[in-house]
Amino acid sequence: MPATDVASKIRAALDDIKSTDLDDPRLMEVLGLAENLVEAMKLFFGSLDTSVHGEFRYIAEYIARTRDEIAALRPNDIREARLPTAGAELEAVVNDTEKATETIMSLAEDILALEPDSLEHYKAQVDEKMMAMIEACSFQDITGQRVSKVVTTLTHIEERVSRFASVMGVLDAEEEADEKDQWRKENLLNGPQIDGPATGQDAIDALFDGEISDEQLNQGDIDDLFA
Amino acid sequence: MAVDMAMPILVVDDYKTMIRIIRNLLKQLGFNNVEEAADGQEALQKMQGGNRFGLVISDWNMEPMTGYELLKQVRSDDKLKGTPFIMITAESKTENVIAAKRAGVNNYIVKPFNAATLKAKMASVIGDF
Repeated sequence: MPATDVASKIRAALDDIKSTDLDDPRLMEVLGLAENLVEAMKLFFGSLDTSVHGEFRYIAEYIARTRDEIAALRPNDIREARLPTAGAELEAVVNDTEKATETIMSLAEDILALEPDSLEHYKAQVDEKMMAMIEACSFQDITGQRVSKVVTTLTHIEERVSRFASVMGVLDAEEEADEKDQWRKENLLNGPQIDGPATGQDAIDALFDGEISDEQLNQGDIDDLFA
Repeated sequence: MAVDMAMPILVVDDYKTMIRIIRNLLKQLGFNNVEEAADGQEALQKMQGGNRFGLVISDWNMEPMTGYELLKQVRSDDKLKGTPFIMITAESKTENVIAAKRAGVNNYIVKPFNAATLKAKMASVIGDF
């Protein structure tokens, strides 16, 4: 390619970059511009030195692959569809369980407060409340389905992100926690553990009853892990 | 000495349903004088505001003041430090149970729990009833 053509291609690529709003650069656009620039420079330097040409070709291919991998990640689909849907499903689970708990607890409180005038009347009232309780338990079927959908979404995202991180050789940066996150990290506990409490009520009772010391409780739990 | 069944009990939890569950269990056990607070800060205000509670039953995970911080504040306050304090939480990592014990908690209940467990732990703290 004549040097004048190469120069005009580089100038065009630079003009593209200049005309881009660099205060709010979109990664895919920046990658596209970089790809154009590298392609133009590759042609120019390629005519001078084949080893430099090889380097530029590698960089151009890497940029193209990065763009393809980001596109395959489908970040807009995750952000605009999958995560909002999963969030809405979880919110519905919280609402459904709250509503069911409220119903069941109110019915139980009603039964505790019954002041029957006869056994038959009492039985009829308890039967009615119990049936309503059983009906209220149907929430579990719906919430189970909702949670399954959320798990599917998380698995989908996990697969895509894992693939992206693996292909691009991404390393985790230092976590930046804001003040609120930092306070939560230092003060709040993690909540219920999977497969039941980390330390059972019996072990805690033994500690408070003075049957074992703090150190023994520690060791006992460690021993349990290896049992 | 007999337990005063009319003594005020302060239940601290940011989850309304849990407060309601504990309130119902306490009612079944014969304790009807129950007050509630949504976090440690509100609980401390109630305690320092002149209310004399015979027992505090508190969750751990609450914002802006946790149950653990409430416990430490209570134990460092000359007027409040003798108040019986039971922690009820879903978290039971050994180091946290030990931290609570060292901070002066009288007993520790792991969620989920039942009325028998609550009664037993209360009895160990305030006496048989």
